[in-house]
Amino acid sequence: MTIDHKRINGPEETIPYELFQKLNTKSLTTQFNECSKDGIRKDKRKTDEHRKIFITTGVVSQAKGSSYIELGNTKVIVSVFDPREIPNRTDYSLKGEIDCEFKFAPFSCPKRKLQQQDSEEKHYSAIMKQALESAVCRHEFPNFQVDIYALVLHNGGSALSAAIIAAGLALSHAGVPMYDLITSVTLGLQNGEKLVDLTLEEETLCLSPIADSKSHGIVVLSLLSTHEQVSQFFQTGNLTLEDVVECTHLLTKACKDIVPLIQKTLAKHVVKNVKESI
Amino acid sequence: MEKGELQCKFGILSRPDGSVMLSEGNTTVIAGIYGPVEVKMQKVLIEKAAVECHYRPKSGLPGVEDRFYESIIRNICETALAASMFPRSAISVVIQEMQNSGELISCAINAACLACLDSGIDMKCMFAAVSCFLGENNQLSLVPPVNRKEIKATFVFVFDNICGKIIASHTDGKFSESLYEEALYICMNESKNIFSFFKKSLFEREEKGKKK
Amino acid sequence: MAVEYKTLHPQKYYNYYLANNIRPDGREFDKYRPIVLNVNSVETADGSAICKIGQTTVICGIKAEFCRPKAETPNEGFIVPNLELPPLCSPKFKPGPPSDQAQVLSQLIADIIKNSNCVDLKDLCLHPDKLAWCLFIDFICLDFDGAIIDACIIALMGALKTVTLPTVDYDAALDNKLVNIEERHPLKIYSTPVSTTYIIFDDKYILTDPTVEEENLCSGLVTIVLNADEVCCVHKPGGTALNEGQLFDCIQKSKKRSKYINELIVSAVKALN
Repeated sequence: MTIDHKRINGPEETIPYELFQKLNTKSLTTQFNECSKDGIRKDKRKTDEHRKIFITTGVVSQAKGSSYIELGNTKVIVSVFDPREIPNRTDYSLKGEIDCEFKFAPFSCPKRKLQQQDSEEKHYSAIMKQALESAVCRHEFPNFQVDIYALVLHNGGSALSAAIIAAGLALSHAGVPMYDLITSVTLGLQNGEKLVDLTLEEETLCLSPIADSKSHGIVVLSLLSTHEQVSQFFQTGNLTLEDVVECTHLLTKACKDIVPLIQKTLAKHVVKNVKESI
Repeated sequence: MEKGELQCKFGILSRPDGSVMLSEGNTTVIAGIYGPVEVKMQKVLIEKAAVECHYRPKSGLPGVEDRFYESIIRNICETALAASMFPRSAISVVIQEMQNSGELISCAINAACLACLDSGIDMKCMFAAVSCFLGENNQLSLVPPVNRKEIKATFVFVFDNICGKIIASHTDGKFSESLYEEALYICMNESKNIFSFFKKSLFEREEKGKKK
Repeated sequence: MAVEYKTLHPQKYYNYYLANNIRPDGREFDKYRPIVLNVNSVETADGSAICKIGQTTVICGIKAEFCRPKAETPNEGFIVPNLELPPLCSPKFKPGPPSDQAQVLSQLIADIIKNSNCVDLKDLCLHPDKLAWCLFIDFICLDFDGAIIDACIIALMGALKTVTLPTVDYDAALDNKLVNIEERHPLKIYSTPVSTTYIIFDDKYILTDPTVEEENLCSGLVTIVLNADEVCCVHKPGGTALNEGQLFDCIQKSKKRSKYINELIVSAVKALN
């Protein structure tokens, strides 16, 4: 470990204790079957069922717009700030920029994360940026950038989707002009099954290949629901072409399911605002 | 109970606008001050000078703990310096630790005050820091015990010379309220000696200057 | 009109209110904002808590890892506290390494943990000179609205009191460790420090539990940390000078608050079981 002069440093070498527990000797297939059997998952959900979602706006008083989302155990907080001039830029850009920072809290994952952004977090930031760029009317604020910060407080799976949903809501809360509401869902494939809204355990199982299964992996899709436009599609693992098509259909439906909830949350915020201003 | 002897030498560095080497007992620091100088764009304040402090440990790079001392010294200097006389500029105080035998913070603060005086930058008041140590026998002393492990608590107080009020207080360790009070009064008395030392040293500096 | 006046002359705006013995948010000088404490909300951490004082929100998560004790202190573990002030919590902060303010606060928290002896480092040792726990205590500010250190210390104590560590079978001869994840035991907490922040406004008013607006305009700050009947930190980093009476007055006021917060933490932890 390199010494960070701007933080309090611990001992040079530390090892997570989870490495020393009794090994799980079951094969991946049995582990996966335990997770999902006859279309019913460990937490008694159907394969295409979402976890309980809680979402609210206005959690960060200092930010222009903010939101907090819980997808089951996954907890993400997002804040959006006033557009500011793009730093270190001399030429004029017609379209405004969106700057996303996705971060896992050090204690949010089973393994402790460092405070600096790692490559996974940087990758997720880029995906978030892609997903949100097409939802925002960027021509409305040329030469300016809107900062979006997402912090995962607890990663219980599908953290990226949660962050995208929350960021979309935070943007509308901040009053940033947008074309449509954006929703996002994570789907996992393994052993011929497709699971919507993955938990962390399911995520890890979907990422490791099982010998006799054709497709495995994770797909994250973000959707602008009014015209069923896909704003971003991210996939890891190994999928057959048929599976890709089927996943897209499943995810489109799943994404649309969440939209009324987002609308309701926004409506609540507007009603509250109106009441306060009277 | 006698405090370690104070010794100081002005102008030991040629580049800064004011500099001093101060030793209290066995603790020694060098302080230098630059000001008013040009300020970085991000730090510009339109109504007063930005006061900054850099603290350098004896070896290695400054860490989080040093940043903590930096902020205390910076805040104290900002209170005492007439920063509003120099808007859109910076006053920078640099402290180099030479030797530490316990009363490092108070020595650094006193050195900062002397360096400010040496530089001739306008000040609202002088300030003096006094450290007080709570030993194993629950006795308060101004001299740090030889064995550091015997220290149960450390108090550092900073006073101004005009009203004798408390500019800063920093403590280490656990103690009762009455002990805190006691330590405060002991330090308050001692601060008078330090102020007279400051004055004496300044007179001596003047004398030397005249001879030259 | 009031809003415009406030933006143009914030100091005067405040003085008008304070001259009438009231703060713009409707509080009297020595009144606190409501506190909310939620413990053990993050399952991936070994102990966690969220504390909200008014709008100020801090989350504290503790994760334990194995390490080797230092040669100088072979029977002690480690506690590594760090505070992050991410750009998420306020437009004042920019992305990048911790600001000076975050570093100063981290150090102050570390000092408070050390001074109050709330955790005995010897309890964190599993086998002398071979194996010990290192507790990484990470604070993240989610909403920066003043009195951040008070919120940190409440969250810290809430989190520490919910920390459970797994039992470890350690074979020193072979350096074999076997962790029993299910069998967990709580950490022994010896004391509960409580911090209270005051600001000095316009060189004459002393306000308790400041908001960020008040902190930005104030001329001095005092933080007092009490630990039952003992004082474990009186931190006044410069600013307007106070006389001793004012300082003692602050300590007296903190006493009552310390008792109240102690009860709050106890009841929050109790509700969990």
